[in-house]
Amino acid sequence: MATTIATKAKKLACKDLHSFLRTLPPTVLDHLYCHPATCLAVFRDLPELSRHYVMRIMFVEQAVAQAVVRQWSTAPQEEQLEAAAALMELRVWYEKPLPGGMPGWLLNHVFRKNLHTALLGGGNPWIGNKDLTIDKYAKDIPFLDKYALERWECVLHFMVGSNQGTDGVNTDITDVLLHSGLMRVDEGEPSITAEGFQFLLMDTSSQVWFFLLQYLDTVQSRGMDLVECLTFLFQLSFSTLGKDYCTEGMSENQLRFLQHLREFGLVYQRKRKSHRYYPTRLAVNIVSGLSKAAVDTHRPGFIVVETNYRVYAYTDSPLQIALLALFCDMLYRFPNMAAANLSRTSVRAALSRGITADQILHYLQSHAHPEMLKNSPVVPPTITDQVKLWELERDRFKFNDGVMYNQFLSQADFELLRNYAKDMNVLVWEMPEKRVLIVTKSGHDDVKRFWKRQKASS
Amino acid sequence: MAGGKRDKKDKEERKSKKAKYDAEVYEDDDDVDVDNAKDVPQSATRECVEAAPEDEFGAQDYRKTLELKLDHGSRPLWIAPNGHIFLESFSPVYRHAHDFLIAISEPVCRPIHVHEYKLTAYSLYAAVSVGLQTNDIIEYLRRLSKTSLPTGIVEFIKLCTLSYGKVKLVLKHNRYFVESQYPDVLQKLLKDPYIQQSRKRDQEEGAGGEDLIAGQLSGKSALQLNKPAPKPGDPQAGPSTGENGESEENKETVPEDIYELYDKMDKEDDDEDAAQLKTVSFEVNQDMIEVLQKRCIELEHPLLAEYDFRNDSINPDVNIDLKPSTVLRPYQEKSLRKMFGNGRARSGVIVLPCGAGKTLVGVTAACTVRKRCICLATSGVAVEQWRSQFKMWSTVDDSLICRFTSDAKDKPMGCAICISTYSMLAHSTKRSWEADKMMKWLQNQEWGLMVLDEVQTIPAKMFRRVLTTVNAHCKLGLTATLVREDDKIADLNFLIGPKLYEANWMELQNLGYIARVQCAEVWCPMTPEFYREYLVMKSQRKLLLSTMNPNKFKACQFLVRYHERRNDKIIVFSDNVFALKHYAVKLNKPYLYGPTSQGERLQILQNFQHNPKVNTIFVSKVADTSFDLPEANVLIQISAHGGSRRQEAQRLGRILRAKKGSAAEEYNAFFYSLVSQDTNEMAFSLKRQRFLVNQGYSYKVITKFDGMEQESLHYKSREEQVQLLQKVLAATDEDAEEEHVLGDITSKGSFHRKVGSMNSLSGADDAVYMEYRRQKFVHPLFKKFKKP
Repeated sequence: MATTIATKAKKLACKDLHSFLRTLPPTVLDHLYCHPATCLAVFRDLPELSRHYVMRIMFVEQAVAQAVVRQWSTAPQEEQLEAAAALMELRVWYEKPLPGGMPGWLLNHVFRKNLHTALLGGGNPWIGNKDLTIDKYAKDIPFLDKYALERWECVLHFMVGSNQGTDGVNTDITDVLLHSGLMRVDEGEPSITAEGFQFLLMDTSSQVWFFLLQYLDTVQSRGMDLVECLTFLFQLSFSTLGKDYCTEGMSENQLRFLQHLREFGLVYQRKRKSHRYYPTRLAVNIVSGLSKAAVDTHRPGFIVVETNYRVYAYTDSPLQIALLALFCDMLYRFPNMAAANLSRTSVRAALSRGITADQILHYLQSHAHPEMLKNSPVVPPTITDQVKLWELERDRFKFNDGVMYNQFLSQADFELLRNYAKDMNVLVWEMPEKRVLIVTKSGHDDVKRFWKRQKASS
Repeated sequence: MAGGKRDKKDKEERKSKKAKYDAEVYEDDDDVDVDNAKDVPQSATRECVEAAPEDEFGAQDYRKTLELKLDHGSRPLWIAPNGHIFLESFSPVYRHAHDFLIAISEPVCRPIHVHEYKLTAYSLYAAVSVGLQTNDIIEYLRRLSKTSLPTGIVEFIKLCTLSYGKVKLVLKHNRYFVESQYPDVLQKLLKDPYIQQSRKRDQEEGAGGEDLIAGQLSGKSALQLNKPAPKPGDPQAGPSTGENGESEENKETVPEDIYELYDKMDKEDDDEDAAQLKTVSFEVNQDMIEVLQKRCIELEHPLLAEYDFRNDSINPDVNIDLKPSTVLRPYQEKSLRKMFGNGRARSGVIVLPCGAGKTLVGVTAACTVRKRCICLATSGVAVEQWRSQFKMWSTVDDSLICRFTSDAKDKPMGCAICISTYSMLAHSTKRSWEADKMMKWLQNQEWGLMVLDEVQTIPAKMFRRVLTTVNAHCKLGLTATLVREDDKIADLNFLIGPKLYEANWMELQNLGYIARVQCAEVWCPMTPEFYREYLVMKSQRKLLLSTMNPNKFKACQFLVRYHERRNDKIIVFSDNVFALKHYAVKLNKPYLYGPTSQGERLQILQNFQHNPKVNTIFVSKVADTSFDLPEANVLIQISAHGGSRRQEAQRLGRILRAKKGSAAEEYNAFFYSLVSQDTNEMAFSLKRQRFLVNQGYSYKVITKFDGMEQESLHYKSREEQVQLLQKVLAATDEDAEEEHVLGDITSKGSFHRKVGSMNSLSGADDAVYMEYRRQKFVHPLFKKFKKP
């Protein structure tokens, strides 16, 4: 009968904060709102109109009529509904009828209280509520950036399977990678999957966010509390880069979480037992970096793509070169530059690993050398077209739904039905020797009815 | 010479491999001549090879061997130990580095940001011959490089430059001298018995004649040109001043040592008058020159031919000059400066894109030398074009020009400029009485300058024949594409001389000297019927089927219509004559191919140029080179000669001549290559494009035209397509082949082999025995009534 064939690897979807929170159960959400940092982060991530609503009813203790809310803006109906739905989904407000029976909105009590604190001040300091003495080993921002990048690249290196500095990767990271489907275990060794390749070509902040989402999925199975972890994560995102914070007052769970973040490079801690830690740029950007443009903020672009399919990468990072080698033929390695060639075979090899043309082009574009940014479009259109054509080349079969009829008892039966289908113009394919025929899906009902009539009459 | 041997072996291997694929891959199939090894010094075949470790991705890994300089950001080059050089075009010192690299290496590809060059033995030979010194080359490279200079490269440069270009063969006062700035080199040469024999000694000097003649060489350029008055709107004035300003600004960011050196080099360029070089020389017997040249090559000191035409009093001066109105473009001037740099005329090759005014360079060279000049072109039409160009740019009198082709033979008496074709001169079988007389006359003359147009097309064998029959003091080769699929191009270095100059296509395009071309590859899907046949056919037939693909025809018709509406002038190229005729007849357009007579050709071309009703012509590959059609701005290619890069570039050249009055549009010329999808045309087309893509052109792939469905085009219905298929299947094998142009250098004689089975010979495949008679027998009595 009708068959559909899935040929393409599934595209890696990276959820944003909103769609992540939406998946959480209401109780977890209510717990989350117990902390001002979370409330502020959620508030910032809301659509503009939703933020507007929240601001207007911040100090209103009662429910507000929905009809009134609707009059606050002249935005189109759909946008208003969307804004209201967003608030509903995140349980920022909920429906509550007014005394007269009119439908109304009431702001989540906990959320209101903590957003008050976040916006107007008061309450306890968010993290590290104890003053620290001056650190003997104080670290500056460039050091932290370098550290974060090194740690993160360690994870990526491990994924590519290159032998450089992968010894720092422990089972926690491997578990997350396996859980998320970025890697799978082949013959005892973890190896990268099609999704993993797609992951590699994302920009760093998306990678970190995606990775953390996957990590949070596994948190509960590790016996840790999701709310505590998330709260801490949001607190971190409001901390100051280059400042040190104290671990005192953190729960056992949070300390464990901190150790994991340390492994990913989101925080720097000189020693495991050390009482102070520094958040790195990866952590500070975690929530705010998502909505921003996809340009990598950690280093300037380095890739030059020429119209003759040459690719020059101004980098000495083995990881970046390894990534480039996923879809390019490498030609030369100089101390600070590598020359490569985009060819049909190299791109097809990448495509067959599950990387899409869009991802390749996105990677080339988001890492483009400053000189390239002067052109518009950044990547030469011939290259863009060609890479896409190479992708299309692999996908030239057209699939039509159809219904197969077989196991006819006699040749006469077969011919009867075939002729009918032919006359109706719904016959797709036939094979008289084996008495098999295929009709289009739309013609199926007709043919079936005809066949039943035939059988009934005979 | 272990390296040399290995290379040779490699080459042989490649050759045998190629032979295997020849049936499939349509490379340029020129005669392979075996004996050319003698004319090329051994070291010329040397390549800079250095084994480098490979990294985990299969790339050559130079990270260990090269050391990055601290101020690498402001230096523009990477030099790989295998001779490849990468240049950043956005570097502040780009212009100078570029000029320098052009002089010492071959450009490999020059797109927008990073250019690639390659150091070869030939390129270094060329560098030395225009006066660069070994140490300067190494020193300058060292300074420009971002990394330390690989030791292999230093050795390679030394190896290639130390012996080259040191000795020159100069014709002065009608006596031949071997001249050198390095007395020790001359002494070394004189130790050789052969060279001693060829040395000419004055009678009275006797045994005391061992001393060398000392002399001086003035460095003043012999080139005198009409300088255009600098106008405010002058395109040349703009960039040059802007550039000066720029370099001032950038001065701080550039390391001091780079500036020092290129100041020095600039000075050498500018103050040529100041340079007075001491030289030593000895005279040689004129009849021993052949021996001498050969011997010098064996000794790895190839002689550079220079012609001191100012001091030549035996050959009469010819009274020609450039017209006062003739103004050269800066790049034309630059190329000629390389030729006449030291007050004499050097032999060599100048490479300019098609349509960039190669002919004017040739004419100017002739006007500078002012001696008898012979110009060789590829076809009769080209000869006519040379003649009219001579008349257009210079003050030459009509009576001084003499054409020598199969169709037009002017009286040679009193002529100073002779224009002919290669095939005419290289013709080795019997000639007509008139032609024979002419040849004798040509051979007896001593020519001052020989201009060789489109040198890339001529195989070495024919070339040598031409060069030996005609005596010329100085040879200038002109070409647009110094590439051949068989790499024989390198031999030109030693047959004519080194490459003197090569222009950058993209630069000329940006300055508006050549048209801005939009290249497009149009993918035409094969119709199912054609593809079914395609899969079962032999290779020749496959080509015909893919050319005759109805979808391709539709695309062609659509494009022709579209551009005719825009009042464009369109040339359609097809290598296959069957397709050519069919397309042209079906679309009702004039066509032109090998057998078309000279008169008809000129008539068609003139109509195309001047008649507003004739906007499209169909041509075969006879029009690939030297057809000057300034009006044409659209080119459609429906079938081509395999994977020939040269042909693609030459064809593009037909529409490159700068277009007037359309500055507003982004592109003012269009090049379409129609390719049938899923056939081997796709692979060929990728190969063909390599040269142009390396020059910085980019091909846009078009898979669908908007509005094609609305047009009423031929072969839309399936019945029509099937009829066409029948026609194609009925075509003979000969139709399926490409055209063999008469007098084409690549043709291998008049016989051809046909593969057939016993069945077809005995008539089973509808083959009919029929007698053909080449010439109708005419009774002597009626001979005088024969039409002229």
